[in-house]
Amino acid sequence: MRPAAPLWVLLPALVLLPVLALLPGISHGGGWELVGQFAAAALQPSLDPLVLGSVLGGLGITAGIALLGWAGSLALGLLLGIASSRVVWRTCTGSATPAGWIRRLLAVPRSIHELLWGLLLLQLVGLQPAVAVVAIAIPFGALVARVVSDLLDTLPTATLEALRSGGAPAPAALLTALGPPLLPQVISYSGYRLECALRSATLLGVFGLGGLGTELRLTLQSLAFRELWSGLWLLLAVMLLLEALLGWLRRRWAMPARLSLRQRAVGRQARELVAAGLGLLPLLALVAWRLEVEPTALLQWQGLPPLGPADWGAVASLPWPGLIANTVLLTVLAATLAVGLAPLLLLVVEPWPAAGVLLRGLWALGRLWPPPLTALLLLFVLQPGVLTGALALGFHNLGILGRLLLEAAETTGAPQQQALLAAGSGPRLALLYGRFSGLARPYLAYGAYRADVILRESVVVGLVGATGLGSQLLEALSSFAGDQLLALVLAYALLTLLGEDLSDRARLWLLETPHQETPHGDGHPQEAGGAWR
Amino acid sequence: MPSLLTLESITVGGRSQPRLDGVSLRLEPGERVALLGPSGAGKSTLIAVANGLLSPDHGQVLWQGEPRARRRRARRRQQARIGTLWQDLRLIEELTVQQNLNAARLAAWGWPRALLNLLLPLDSPACAAVLQRLDLDPALLNQPVSALSGGQRQRVALARLLRQEPLLLLADEPLASLDPRLAADLLTLLLELASPPRGLLLSLHRPDLLAGFDRAVGLRDGRLVFDQPCNRLEPGQLEALYAGAEP
Repeated sequence: MRPAAPLWVLLPALVLLPVLALLPGISHGGGWELVGQFAAAALQPSLDPLVLGSVLGGLGITAGIALLGWAGSLALGLLLGIASSRVVWRTCTGSATPAGWIRRLLAVPRSIHELLWGLLLLQLVGLQPAVAVVAIAIPFGALVARVVSDLLDTLPTATLEALRSGGAPAPAALLTALGPPLLPQVISYSGYRLECALRSATLLGVFGLGGLGTELRLTLQSLAFRELWSGLWLLLAVMLLLEALLGWLRRRWAMPARLSLRQRAVGRQARELVAAGLGLLPLLALVAWRLEVEPTALLQWQGLPPLGPADWGAVASLPWPGLIANTVLLTVLAATLAVGLAPLLLLVVEPWPAAGVLLRGLWALGRLWPPPLTALLLLFVLQPGVLTGALALGFHNLGILGRLLLEAAETTGAPQQQALLAAGSGPRLALLYGRFSGLARPYLAYGAYRADVILRESVVVGLVGATGLGSQLLEALSSFAGDQLLALVLAYALLTLLGEDLSDRARLWLLETPHQETPHGDGHPQEAGGAWR
Repeated sequence: MPSLLTLESITVGGRSQPRLDGVSLRLEPGERVALLGPSGAGKSTLIAVANGLLSPDHGQVLWQGEPRARRRRARRRQQARIGTLWQDLRLIEELTVQQNLNAARLAAWGWPRALLNLLLPLDSPACAAVLQRLDLDPALLNQPVSALSGGQRQRVALARLLRQEPLLLLADEPLASLDPRLAADLLTLLLELASPPRGLLLSLHRPDLLAGFDRAVGLRDGRLVFDQPCNRLEPGQLEALYAGAEP
């Protein structure tokens, strides 16, 4: 008895049963009125010019930080990606060993969440705009590097070998053979990273690194819900516009690149790309000037309070098993909730198009709403703990997984669903059998990757007492316990690297389709998680 | 006995270039009707109107003498009696043959059975019976569809149609892209299955395969050009139907 593909997609939703059973035990019910006020304020955002001015200013800072952090991560990621590519080393030096070492080194900055980088840098150099930019650029750069090197190493090498055997020098051969196929994929991926950078910049703001996130947190803590929604709606509009613009650009530039080589569009596309690249440079300079980002200020470390001698006994006496178990539990709960709820909700609303639109709106809110703020909101009615943290992280990732599922559903299984509808099947069963069959493997593969991201993200809900390494780490940071901080960062890095390895194995297993003669739809591995880091 | 399907003055699409333009057609139980016409004539649109996937902009569709039900459940019951064989078969690759066959019963099944079928395929005897009727080995029931050969897939799609137990069989260009032997086999099977009280409406690209049909309906530019018994069809009518059309 082996569950068929559509059931795999629904099985994670079973986690709802224990979650719903546990919720009454952790709810205190005191804040339902506040939650009601929060929800009602969504329809009455403040239109006070002062509030709007402040929100717009905050949004400008967040967008600027995101743009600069993103550009930095791309530059860093491209360079390090090339430097850690096996095929590049093999072509240039004949040995791919150094690529492996660089890859292993890059795993460390990648495994530490941008929030941790931000808080660490904050301790070292004080509050300045460059902190948030660098905090985004470092882990994102390491992620981009991994994707670029993975992409490079999986491209066909026949052209490269032909050019090399014809006597072409290594750099020229690499650029000619691998550059054109790499470019569209990197462009597509970098667009996705820009969306992530905007989300991260908002999150860093929540922790006091400036911009709209700070405004959102302050308004939430002072219960100024109407002002909060002014910021939230504006952020939603910007996020949806950005997603739409990037989707349009992806279709315009990246997707047709290899299929329309004989069309005039390629010339136009190349011109537009160069123009966009050149246009980006002055824009970045302008943003950096407006935000007063000074890279040199990062070199001036502020005086830290005197660190006492390392107390490794105290470090060893930390409740490590409990911290690690809670972190893992938080991750598994949040990931399972997000992975399971997205298809379940899609099934529920399938017969009603209007509900589908509402669901998309809710998912968009989940994507942009920083998890710590959701956690703070949940604290109005729930006690702090692992489950509260998991719900906050789950809601955020549900927004991301839901959108991905919708995108994949648009291109997978439509004819099968239509055939079932024509045979009189109800809309939900037609969706389950017709579309989810083809989606199951790539969707769950992406879910496995997402779990790995959630593990890294679990630090961000530490703030609200979701016990685990994250909260302990924030405590160590605020008490300047350098020894504990070092041990916890290392433990986090090790755990996330282990999680990354497990998620990679799960993804490979899921994408290893046993019978692939005539797959329908796309949902290819790269999109389903291989490259979407 | 009322007609199985009646299309009355069906129009689909804008007035400047309608995909179907005032088409009327009647299909009786046991009748085997071939739908002819060049590419773009509106054959697939007519099939989509007949199986309920497409609602006409003008005109009326009657099922067994009654207008198409407006309520969802009643409409689904009507659609469950109309089976379609698609040119691309539309089998679900990730499921087994048995799960695919049972997918044809989803209209009659509730959620519990539909979910159970994904865990433990149901109704093995009924599924084996339809396979045997099409000369397929019941051992195929546990095979994933993606492991089947082209000919087996054709027959499994037909078996799924039988499992649906429809009164009207619709087929949209089922013989296109098949080699001559497979096409002849499939057509013979379809004509056999369309015994009373079942009816068959099959869109065809090849007038040379009209032998087993009772009636031929010619469509061109969304309009009905002829509708008459096959044995009274003049060669000139077919030539006129395809004249100037792209091969």
